Formats: sequence, C-alpha cells, structure tokens
Amino acid sequence: MENVFECIYVDGVTRLCTKNLAPGYSVYGERLIKFEGIEYREWNAFRSKLAGAILKGLKYNPIKKGTKVLYLGAASGTTPSHISDIVEKEGKVYGVEFSPRVVRELILVAQRRPNLFPILADARFPQAYSLLVEDPEVLYVDIAQPDQTDIAIYNAKFFLREGGYLLLAVKARSIDVTKEPEEIFMAEAEKLRKENFDVEQIINLDPYDKDHSMIVAKFKG
Amino acid sequence: MMKVYLVEHVIGSFAFDENGKLVDYVLNPRDLGKVVDMLIDHEEHGNPFPSALELLLKLKPSEVVVENEAEVAKFQGLGARVTTQVHHFGAREFRQSLVKYALEAKYAPNEEELYSFLYQVSFEYTRRKLRKASQKRDLLAIQAVRAIDDIDKTINLFSERLREWYSLHFPELDKMVEDHQLYSKIVSYLGYRDNITQEALKELGLNDSRASKIADAAKKSIGADISEDDINSIRMLSNTILELFKIRNDLADYVESVMREVSPNVTALVGPVLGARLLSLAGSLEELAKMPASTIQVLGAEKALFRALKTGSRPPKHGIIFQFPAIHSSPRWQRGKIARALAAKLAIAARVDAFSGRYIGDQLVEQLNKRIEEIKTKYAQPPPRKQQKEERPQGKGKKGKGDKKKGKRR
Repeated sequence: MENVFECIYVDGVTRLCTKNLAPGYSVYGERLIKFEGIEYREWNAFRSKLAGAILKGLKYNPIKKGTKVLYLGAASGTTPSHISDIVEKEGKVYGVEFSPRVVRELILVAQRRPNLFPILADARFPQAYSLLVEDPEVLYVDIAQPDQTDIAIYNAKFFLREGGYLLLAVKARSIDVTKEPEEIFMAEAEKLRKENFDVEQIINLDPYDKDHSMIVAKFKG
Repeated sequence: MMKVYLVEHVIGSFAFDENGKLVDYVLNPRDLGKVVDMLIDHEEHGNPFPSALELLLKLKPSEVVVENEAEVAKFQGLGARVTTQVHHFGAREFRQSLVKYALEAKYAPNEEELYSFLYQVSFEYTRRKLRKASQKRDLLAIQAVRAIDDIDKTINLFSERLREWYSLHFPELDKMVEDHQLYSKIVSYLGYRDNITQEALKELGLNDSRASKIADAAKKSIGADISEDDINSIRMLSNTILELFKIRNDLADYVESVMREVSPNVTALVGPVLGARLLSLAGSLEELAKMPASTIQVLGAEKALFRALKTGSRPPKHGIIFQFPAIHSSPRWQRGKIARALAAKLAIAARVDAFSGRYIGDQLVEQLNKRIEEIKTKYAQPPPRKQQKEERPQGKGKKGKGDKKKGKRR
C-alpha cells in the first residue's frame, strides 16, 4: 500500500505508520519514530477507522501520493492528518466538519499541514463548500448521521469524479439501534448499488470499532 | 441566444457552454478579506459573487444553469431563464481541472501560490464562522495568556530554587547553563554529576565544545556528594519545571488558535500572545475596540502615565506594545513614533475585529511596515540632545525630582 508503512518495534510489535508531513508534531499523542532520518507517526487503528480497515484487509487503498480527497466529518483531524501524510504535498485533503468545537482542534492540526484545508460547513449542503474545493478522486465519509449514506451519495453526485472511490464508514448504531449491524451494512451497500456504485468491499472493523464497517465503493458516474 | 453553465469558485466565476467548453470568465480579487466576505455573504444571503453577476451581464445568455438553488432568485433579475443542476457540465469540467483554469486565467503565477492562497481562504473562512459560533471567546484567550504569565513566573521561581538546591551537588553548572529549560533537563535526565558526560549532553542537544566544557566541570566539581534520595527529591522539582514548559507551549498554541478566531486583525499585527495581552489589559475585545489609539499606546504603562500626569515629567512612549519587535529593537528616538503608528493600526484592527469581523490584517501590516520604513529613513540619526534638556523642567518647579526620574528611566 503506497505510503503506508509498518513499524516493527524492538519488542516485536508491528504497527501501521505514515511519514510525518509535520515533523516533530504529534496530533493525538501518537508515537513519533525516527528511522533513517525520516520521521514516522504511529497510526492507531483504535482511533482511526481507515487504519482499522487496512489492518482488517482493505484490498485496494485509493488514497495514495498525490490523491485529492474530500473528507466529510473531519472531526479533530486524527484520520485526516494521516491521509495528509499519505497524499503528501502533491495531494490535497479538504476536511469538512460541522461542529465548531472540534473544528478548533482541526485547525490546530491543519496549521502545520499545507495540504489539509479545514472547512467549517454542513455536509448536507455541498453548495456552500463547493466554492472552496476541487472534484476529488476519493470521497471519505465518516459522519455519524442516520442518513449518512444519502449524504454521501449526494456529495458523490456533486463532486466525485467518474471512477472515483467512496470510502464510507458506517456506524450501525447511529442508523438504527434495533437492527442487526450486518443487516444495516447490507442495506446501506444496496443503497449505493442503486445509485451507480460498485461496492467492492465491506470491511467489518471489529475489534477496532464495534458495530462499524468500512464500505469501499467505486463510482460509475 | 446561448445557454451557459455557471460555476462559482473562490478564484472567480466561469461560464461553460453545453459541450463543456469555457466561454468566458471573471476573476475574483485575490484579496483574502474580500474573498471571505463574499463567501460568507453567499452562504448567508444566497448572494452570487459579484464576478458572477458581471460575467452574466457581459454574456447576456438566454439560459443559465447554476448549482445553488438559493441563487436562482438573484439571477432571475438579470432576465435570463435560470435552472439548477448539481455537478453540471461546467462544474465538472472546472473543478476537475481547477489548477489548469486558474493558471490559464492568470489568477496565480503558479500552482504553489494558488494552493497557498486557497489554503489561507479556507482557514480564514473557517475562523470567521468559528468566531460567530463562539462569543465571548476573547475572555478565554485573556485567561489563557494570564495563565502563561503565571507559569512564566512560576518557572522562574522554581528554577531559582532548583539552581540553589542542585548547586549543593554541582555548583559550577549554574553559571554554565543560563537557560532554565536546559538546566532542568540536565537535572531530570542525567541527575548525578557522574552521569553528566559529553555524550549524554550531546544527546540533549548541546554542541561539542559546550558539552565537553560542562562534562569537564562535572568531573572537577567542588560540590558535595549526595545520596540517591536527595537527588530524587531534586528531580521532582526539575520534572515539574519541565512539565510547566510543556504546558506553557500547549497554552501558547491554544492562545494562537483562539486569537486568530476572535481577533484575527490584531493577531496579524502583533501576533497572538501580545494581542492577547492587549485584550487582557483592556479587559475584553470590545473594551479594546472602544479605546483611542493614544490609550492603546500606553496600555500597561499606567504607573508611568499617571506619574507623568501628576508631576509633569515626560509621559511613557509605550506600554505593553514595547514587546513588539520593531519597537524594542529600534533606536530609542524612533520608538515613540513607531509606537504611535502601531497603536493607531491596533485601534483600527480591534474595531474591525469587534464589530465587523472582516479580515484586513494584510493591509494593516503592509501600511504599518511602510510607515516604519519611513520613520527609519527619515529619523535615521538621533535628534540633537542639548536642546531637549533645557526645555523639559518647566513643569511644576520640582526640577530636582523630575531630573532624577528621567535619569532612572533611561
């Protein structure tokens, strides 16, 4: 997987890492590791669903060096910071987040990362931030909303390039607490298929996140 | 008549035809404050960019396709048929090749500068919206900067104690390491003077010659031997000092983020920490905004100001803004003039921050720098001295006292 590394510690533990774009700064208290003059940041799979998905067998990661990513639900910037590491300076991460409280932290992260654009806006109204972004190759959606899949689809229609990827983190418990998580994942994937997506993988994120899945889908335009 | 697909973006408004070919465009000004104003106005009132209106007036199309429903009404006034379609031809074409269109239209000289501007815009836009969402956050910045000042005092106090205490064991170190943080690090990480070797010091970031000097001194030290218990107690204090340094750094980051949010213009002029100190002295952003420049100039020098008013001695030239690099690093006779210029800009900045929230920091900084440049060239030489001396003690006839004071202040 491009620009995603494995760090093997002296005691034999293996962890995911990314090359730190802002050397010397840790975003959420993760470990910084210097190796052959390059600084890496440990990527905690319990804190970031993308890392969890990679460890649970993500077959193809569409996020690589130079990729443009529109990230809905950027929150305090944990995963966006790693994506910013992966895409490097050539790539861009447009991080949209609605809650002012966490945007304050997102801004601190973005301050050190010229490829991470913090945008305080509501993902349900792409018209507002369409003025600030480009059409991305990857749409990453992690918003705990009952209608998150619809919001993702709407944004894909608004921005996503033909052949672009949608990475959708589904939190079963915020869609319907009474249904079985597996059922919900299938239903959400079906919604995507109806809207012209090829669903490539549904990755259960247990044990990193209970009742969460990452749906990987390709947009046919 | 033609049908056009209109795309609006930070860089301007672009019209495409049905084949996705660019028909014409009007650029937005490349001015951070103005662009963010337009974005906010667009979002709150559904007002199209001025560049979009200009573009349509120029093209006079029969039909316009836009992406944003809220704008339809505003465009209809222009006499064209307006429809909405998300991600239409034009939007698709434009947003997939943003860099290409921006460079062809000469909005920026190169890709790097384009992105650096877009980055600033999204930052400023987000800060403006944050600011609205959070009122009274200026009081938080004020408390945080006061906490920083308290921590600085505490660090000094503890460091003095640490130096005396550890000096029982290794007295020579006190003079050799001025920096409190480094001193604490040596005590915390190395402890016993036997551990203070050249390699160990180099690992703490000292250069060769300094490390060897200190290691040498450690070997020959005249200090007393102490037990493990003793050193552990000393280290508790040095660990605390190091922790305080860390908190201080985190707080400074925090102050910066809050200040850029609540008072971006003042921050642009004097930086987050000095800006927060000004708010702290004034009481709040609104209080600062209500102050005349002459008051801002001497904020923090109240004692000297009132003494001057009482005794007729010379008033202070600057208060806390003395911390501004251009003031304290300039020759004495220029400082008053620079202080006055800075205070005037600060008064404007505070008012804009408190009452409108627009970002005009760049212009203010530019104007200020120009004025400072002017002062530097015009008053490069110190004024003749003797005349001044004779003029001054005309006040209340307390000549002796007045003279003394002035001597002190120098």
